[in-house]
Order: sequence, then C-alpha cells, then structure tokens
Amino acid sequence: MSRSTKLVVNRRGFLKGAASAAAGAAAIATQVPETDAQTQPAGPERSDASAPPPSAAQLERDAGAARPPTGGSPRAAVRPGSDLMVQVLRDLGIEYVAANPGSSFEGIQESIINYGNPPNLMPEFITALHEESAVTMAHGYGKATGKPMCALLHGTIGIQHAAMSIYQAYYDKTPALLIAGRDLGFIAAHSANDMAGMVRSYTKWDATPKTLEESLGAIQRAYNEAITPPCGPTMVVIDIELQKEEAGTMKVPAHQPPQISGVDPGQAREIAKSLLDAQNPRIAVGRLRTPSGVRLAVQLAELVGASTSTSATQGPMSFPQRHPLCGPGANTSYDYILGLEQPGTVSLTGPSLTTLLARDTTNIGFGGIAPGVSRAGGAGRGGGPAGRTVTIDAEASLPAIIDEVRRQMSPDRQRLVHERGAKHATANQAARIEALTRALEQRRAGWDASPISTARIYAELWPLIVEEDWILASPSNFSGGHNSQLWDHNKPYSYLGGQGAGGMGYGAPAAVGAALAARSRKQIVINVQTDGDLNYAPGVLWTAQHHQLPMLTVMHNNRAWHQELMFVEYMCGVRGRGTERGHIGTTLRDPFIDYRMMAASYGMAGEGPITDPLKLGPALKRGLASVKNGLPYMIDVITQPR
Amino acid sequence: MSAKPSLLMFVAAAVLIVPAAIRAQATPPAQNRKPVTTLTSPVTGNAVAGKTLYYDHACYSCHGFNGETGARPFVPNWPANLATERSFIAFLRGRANVAPVQPSTAMPNYPAESLSDAQARDVYAYIRSFKSAPPSIEKIPVMNQILAAAKKPYKQ
Repeated sequence: MSRSTKLVVNRRGFLKGAASAAAGAAAIATQVPETDAQTQPAGPERSDASAPPPSAAQLERDAGAARPPTGGSPRAAVRPGSDLMVQVLRDLGIEYVAANPGSSFEGIQESIINYGNPPNLMPEFITALHEESAVTMAHGYGKATGKPMCALLHGTIGIQHAAMSIYQAYYDKTPALLIAGRDLGFIAAHSANDMAGMVRSYTKWDATPKTLEESLGAIQRAYNEAITPPCGPTMVVIDIELQKEEAGTMKVPAHQPPQISGVDPGQAREIAKSLLDAQNPRIAVGRLRTPSGVRLAVQLAELVGASTSTSATQGPMSFPQRHPLCGPGANTSYDYILGLEQPGTVSLTGPSLTTLLARDTTNIGFGGIAPGVSRAGGAGRGGGPAGRTVTIDAEASLPAIIDEVRRQMSPDRQRLVHERGAKHATANQAARIEALTRALEQRRAGWDASPISTARIYAELWPLIVEEDWILASPSNFSGGHNSQLWDHNKPYSYLGGQGAGGMGYGAPAAVGAALAARSRKQIVINVQTDGDLNYAPGVLWTAQHHQLPMLTVMHNNRAWHQELMFVEYMCGVRGRGTERGHIGTTLRDPFIDYRMMAASYGMAGEGPITDPLKLGPALKRGLASVKNGLPYMIDVITQPR
Repeated sequence: MSAKPSLLMFVAAAVLIVPAAIRAQATPPAQNRKPVTTLTSPVTGNAVAGKTLYYDHACYSCHGFNGETGARPFVPNWPANLATERSFIAFLRGRANVAPVQPSTAMPNYPAESLSDAQARDVYAYIRSFKSAPPSIEKIPVMNQILAAAKKPYKQ
C-alpha cells in the first residue's frame, strides 16, 4: 500500500502559513464595521433567536456528509484513512472515544466528529481534561459494561500521562482500547520509535502498524485481545500520516470476533455430573467477563439448585446478591464446589476452610489461580485440598456445562433440585435479614453525629435508589464499605469495586466512565467521592457536566488522605516523638476545600458543605432528581473520617 | 538469612515473651476486661483544652470526632482502660515506656514528653463528655425502609 507523503504539508510550513493567515485575519478584522460585530454576540449571551436558520451546506455537514472543498488544500484527502479507522470503531460497537486533544491524532479526531451519518455518534468524542482521566473513564466504562471504550493518547507525552490509569486497568483485568497518535515529523520529544514500549509491561497487546490497511486490522485485533480473557488494555500506535492518507477504494475488513475457549466436552460432562450427584453442591462465583456470563451463572445455579456465593459486593459481573440461591444455603456442608473465576476456592495461599470441608472442588477461570496448586482427584476430607483447576474462561465454559446438566437431568434429580432450592431460599432470606439487622444495629452509632457518619450517607441513599437502575461506581473501601451490607448488588454493574492497583485518582474519572455507560442505558451513577481522590483529576467534573452525565457525586469529605494520616500518626507514636505533627502532609486543611464551589466552577449544580445530618436526606433527594433529569450533581458532605 | 528459626531466635523470643507473660498474669490485658456503658469516675481535666488536644493529636482519626465511629470507636461501650483517669494515663504510658507491645501496637504510644499527665487528663475530660444516644432502628425511618426493602420478593 502506498504512503501518501505528497499530500502532506510539512508541519513547520503549516505553522508558518497559519501565522501569516492569522496576521491577515487580524488586518481584515479591523475593517469590520462596528455594527456588524455587535449583531452576533459571542458566547453564552448569544441569543438563539438571533441565530439564522442553518444553510443547506450546514445541514449536510450535520448529517456527516462533510467533504473537503474541491480543489482546496493539498492536505485534504477525499476519503481519509482515519474515516476508515472510525468505521472500524463503529463496526466494533465502540460507543465513546475519550481524549484530551493532541495533534498526533487530529485526523482520527476530525473523522470522529465529522464522518458518518450521524457524525460523532458510535463513537462519540468525549472531551477529557487529562489523559489519565480519559483512560480511567474507559476503565470505569469497561467494568460497568464488560466492553472496551476507546481512549486516544497524544504521542509519548499522552501515553505517559495515561500510564497510571493503564496500569490500574491492567491490574483490574478490564478491557480498554487505546490508540496513540504518533507524529514523527513534529516535536521529537513527542514521538519515539517504540512508543508502546513505555507501557508494554502493563498492556496486554500492542502494535505499531506501518500501513493504513494494517492499522485497520490492528484496531480490530486490539479489540479482540482486550476482550479475550484475561482481559486488559491494549494499544495501537497510529502515525498521523496514516490517518491523513487517501484511502481510495480500500475496504474496511469485516470483524472476526475472538473465539474464547471454554472447558472441553469431557470436562463439561464431569462437572455437570458432579453438580447433579452432589447432595449439597455450591457454586462460588467471582468476577465474570460480561453480563451474559452472569446470566449463565444464574441459569446454572437454578438448574442444579446450588447455593451460591458472590463477589458482587466487591466488584462487578458476579452473582446477584439478593437471588434466593445466594447465601450460605440451608446446609453449609457442601460436598461439591464449583468455582467460577473464584480465587478463594483454590488459591495461592491454600484452600479456604469451606473448600477443605468439601468433598470435591473444581475451579474454572483465571481469577488468581496459580497453575499447579491444586491436586487433581484429591480425596477431600482429611486428604488435603481436593480440587481441580481448569485455567480457562469460566463464562465461555458455562454454556457447555448447562447443556450437559440439562442432558443428565432426570425427573428424580429435578425434584431434589426443586426441594433443595426452596430450602436454600428460605435459609438465605433468614440469614440476609439477620445480617442486615446486625449491620443496621452497628451503623446506628454516630447516626446523629456531626460531622456526618459515612454509614448514614449509604443508609440515606439506599431507599432513594432501591427502585432505580443504578451503578455504584466509586470504590467504597475508604468510606466504610457500608454498601456491601446495606445495599443489594443484583446487577452485573451494581458495584464496580476498587481501583485496580489501589492508586488514587481513580474514583471520579471511573464514575464518569460508568456514567457514560449509564447515559445510554437509562441508568444512574452514584459516586461517593473521597476528597483526596477527587483532587487528582477534578477536571472530570467538567466532562460530566459538558456531556450531561447522570452522576450523583456525594463527597466523603474528611479533609484528609485519611488512611495516610492514621499511618503517619502511628509512626509518630511508635517512635515516641509525639503525634501532633502527624497532620503535616496528610490533611487537606488551611484552607479547607469547598467542593460545591469547585463543582460550580465546572458548571455543575450542587450544594454543601453539609454538616447537619438532618440536611443530608433532602439534599440527596434533590441530587437524585437532577441526575434522573440527566444532569450531574455534587453534594459536599463533611464526614467522619471513616 | 536462613528461613528456619535458629536456637538463638528461640532464646531471644523466650527472653522477651516470658516476662511479658508474667506481667500479663499480674495485670490482665485491658482489652480482655469487659467494657462498660456508663462511667462515673471523677474527671479533673479541662474538656475545652482536651477538645483541642483531641484534634491536634488526631485522636479523631481512629476514634471519630465523637468516639462513635471510625476504626476504633469506644462510645458507648467504653473499654476498661478508659474507666478512670488513672487507667487512661497508664494505658497511654504503658504502651510507650513500660510494655510497648501490650496490649497491642495498633494505637500510637503517647509518652509523657509528647502528652503530659495534665494534657492527658484534659483529653480524658473531653472524651468523657461524649454522649452517644443514637435512636433505635425502629425510630430511624430510612433503616425501616432498608429492612422493608430487604423483605420484598427478589426481582430479576
């Protein structure tokens, strides 16, 4: 394939030309009559009533039929390569591309916003104020949907800005599609021969294609690699020249989805038999890949009447917490456990007590399983851990196991399953109410306290959202984790879990990414936002407002990086040198930060700071009303430390 | 270093552990004593000064601003080491100067050089002013709503 170098104007030449044009424009501007200048006031004061109706040409452009002017700039291509790249993204079902603008991907950006009918939709360009935010948005979106979102990165500098977020997504086994623009002819420091090398140790796959055709295939491959388990971020580095190249009659290749392997038919038969032969089988469900996997897990549990455990209170894509089969069940002496991406069943640190007591165990998945830690055909009780580890995708294994269960099912087994399931449902509901009552009793403490207890935030929120389709996007581990006991996590996306690699600066941009998913699915996002975390990337509040995302941010404002405060206090104490200086470098005081004003400066509605617990509930209601109308809202709550 | 414990390590451990065990027999660890919900022992410190100290020394970071929340709440179930001024000061000092690993190292040590006896009494006066009377679950509407929601049938 040919590289179109003739059509490309040298960058420095372009800048020189732009400067001349600007000077000319300034000269012309001085000649504009004053009255003309006043008829079109700029900015928000401009009245819609004064805007002229769109011209035919504008309507055509709005419909994505933009074409370069005939006989115009030598830079222009009639069918630029980046149009085909965007078509690939569209064919892959990429909803959003987040980026902080950068010249090395200007071709792709222009295609996103102008190509197609309608343009700037599937994918839509999401304006990020930092590359780290763009990638963390993709991280949050990926966890909420099980699908990749795309982020564009500008050269070496964009990749390095994004590095921390890529690292977290990788640790979190979350798919994300990253495209880095490269412009070898511009600023030397912004490009490199092997740009992806800077993040290669924590990306799953990368490519630097040399032709337009290769670029299209590389984007498709990167998508496939990202969603093939173990999932993770992937990167394609695309030269600016390939984006601007005239594609001519080149066709976009058809996408071939990845073939994700599951257990083989023999294994499926054996697992199905074990589930049906067991008197009290259990299914331990970890984090599956997609909502489809969750539906299959529910189907299997219902088919065999197994009690289940879930990781839905710890992260996404697991068994519904309120499902009647979810819980300890009527009898906790399990004689067969099937683990689905469940590292606790057979793990690096040895089997759990439950596993030791079980007669037999099979764990399918990649979730923290170390090959070789299990002993095939172990004897069970007294004979060490009895477990098989099948290092293969659990979600892709479920259809074959379900088919085998159906094949081996008999009327007698059906009756047993029904009876067992009913007993489990009764026992689990009783256990749930008992645990909830205990949790509520504990969370009464400090109910009327000021600053406001973190438990009260979660307790006040729950009745307001229980009937909504919600996503809790923010990690709750630094806020008491109260959702895990007070809320029900019944959807694959109910709770998106932790940061991935424990890095701060994740919560707000991940919530924005989840809110992007929520906006197109008529859901709402709850973001209980720790103050230290928000200050890494507060610009995402503007992104949420600009794109009108349904995100309620409730500040857990303890005016500190609180865990670090405790650590430093402890260090001061054990060294016997006094604790009164432990706040240095660990607190956000002198001055306190006003988050309502911060949100307001980004255009977001909000209220606070709230210190009176009686004012919390009404504020949450107002916030949810705004979010349900499609506008984000911020409530600054001054809280107890944890 | 070898991963296996050496004889020297066993001897060293015995030297450290045995006296600690003897002390533990003489005075049961504070955390083993039963907590009480009402304290009546005398308070001689200045609660207003204690409030500043409670903040400055970041006591709130683990115990909450009211002693009710956080990693180590102590209200309303007051642990025995908070029963009297004397036991409170002994707890602070004992950790640093007498038996630094007892009852645990989870709480920072407070030697007299960083918190004098008078200041400790002020802190004690302040924390004794903490009153905890949260409403019962029945009297908290949202908690009733949470329980009611949990009793509803599960919807797919």
